[in-house]
Amino acid sequence: MTRLVETTIPEDVLRGAREGEERAQATLYAAVAPGAFALIRRLAGGRAQAEDLFQDTMLAVYQRLGEFRGEAPIGAWVRQIAVSRCLMYMRSPWQRARLSLGPANVDDEGPAEYDRLLPPSPPPLAESLDIERALASLSPTARAVVWLFEVEGYSHEEIASSFGRSVSFSKSQLARAHLKLRQWFEPTVDTEPCTPI
Amino acid sequence: MYSDLDPRQQQRITRVLRNLPADARPPYGWNEFQQRVQERKVARRQGLQWGLGAVAASLLIIVSGIVLLSRGGAVDGARTQARVSVGVPTRPELPVVMDPRTRDAERWLASLPPEPVVVRFGTRMAVTQLEDRIAQVDDLMSIASANEVAPGRLDALRQERSRLVKSLAQVRYAETLAADLR
Repeated sequence: MTRLVETTIPEDVLRGAREGEERAQATLYAAVAPGAFALIRRLAGGRAQAEDLFQDTMLAVYQRLGEFRGEAPIGAWVRQIAVSRCLMYMRSPWQRARLSLGPANVDDEGPAEYDRLLPPSPPPLAESLDIERALASLSPTARAVVWLFEVEGYSHEEIASSFGRSVSFSKSQLARAHLKLRQWFEPTVDTEPCTPI
Repeated sequence: MYSDLDPRQQQRITRVLRNLPADARPPYGWNEFQQRVQERKVARRQGLQWGLGAVAASLLIIVSGIVLLSRGGAVDGARTQARVSVGVPTRPELPVVMDPRTRDAERWLASLPPEPVVVRFGTRMAVTQLEDRIAQVDDLMSIASANEVAPGRLDALRQERSRLVKSLAQVRYAETLAADLR
C-alpha cells in the first residue's frame, strides 16, 4: 500500500503527460487518482463533495503539470493540490453556512459513506471499521486536522497556516479529536458487581 | 490540553489511522474523467454565455429605464409648463368627506380630459366681423366727409380703419400658414 505522498511515476510517463499524450495522462491518472480520492474523501466528508473536489483536483493537476519540477514525488505535489482544494472548500462561506445550519448532516452520512470507501478486497478489519466510524463522528475541521497531523505528517505550524488560524487552534482541534476518538477504543467497563454483595 | 492525553493511546490512535487504506477506488476512470472535463468546459462556456446575456439584458433594461424616466420627466415638465401657460389651475387635494354637490363637481372635473385641449376654430367668423367693421368705418368716413365734421374725427376713423385692415391681413396670413401646414 503506497501512500499518495510516496507515489512516483517514471520520467518518460511524466514527460508524455506534460506533452499531452493520452496514454501517459491515463497512466498518471491511474497512479494518483486512488490516493487522491482517498485523501479528499477523508477531508471532505460527504461523497458528493468529495467527487466534486476530486474532479477539481485532477483538473488542476493536468492544467498545472508543467509547473511540477520533479523535486519531490508526484504524489506529494498532487497531495498539496488536493489538500489546498479541500481546505479552500472548507473555508468557503457557503460550506461554513451549510455546516452551521446542520452540522449533523455531515456526520449522519459518515459511517455508511466511509464503509463504501473501503476497497472491495481484502475485507476490512473490525478495528478499521471502528476508526472509520470514529472519524465520521468528528467535525470536518477536526477530522481534517487529525488526518493531516497523524497520517499526512503535517506539523501544527503547517496546519495552522493552511487553515489561516493559529497554532493553538490546530493543537486544540487535535486534542479534542483525540479525546473523541479515544472513546471508540476504550472498552466500556461495567463497574457494577455481577452479584449483589 | 494536548499533553493531558495518554501517550500510549495517542500512539495507538496514530497507528490505527495510518493503517487505514490509503487508496480508494476513484468515482470514475480516465475516460469518464475526460468526458466530465469536456462537459464542464461546455457548461462553463454556456454559463459564460448566459452570464453575458444576463448582463446585456440588465444593461438594456437599465438604459431603457433611464430613457423612459428622462422622457417622462420631460413630458411632465412640458405638461406643467402648458398648464401654467394656459392658466389651468392644478387640482388641490380635497378633503375625504365631500358634500354631494362637490362630489358631482369633482366627478365632472374628472371626466374632463387631463391635458389642455387646443380647439381649432375657423377664421371665417373673424374675417366676416373684420370686413363688416371695415365697411362700417368706411360708411362713417363717407358721412363725415360729406358733412364736414371735425378733422380729428376723420383722422380717428382713418386710424381705426388702418388697424382693422392690419388685423384682417394678419388673419389672412395665418390662414395661409395653416393651409401650408396641412
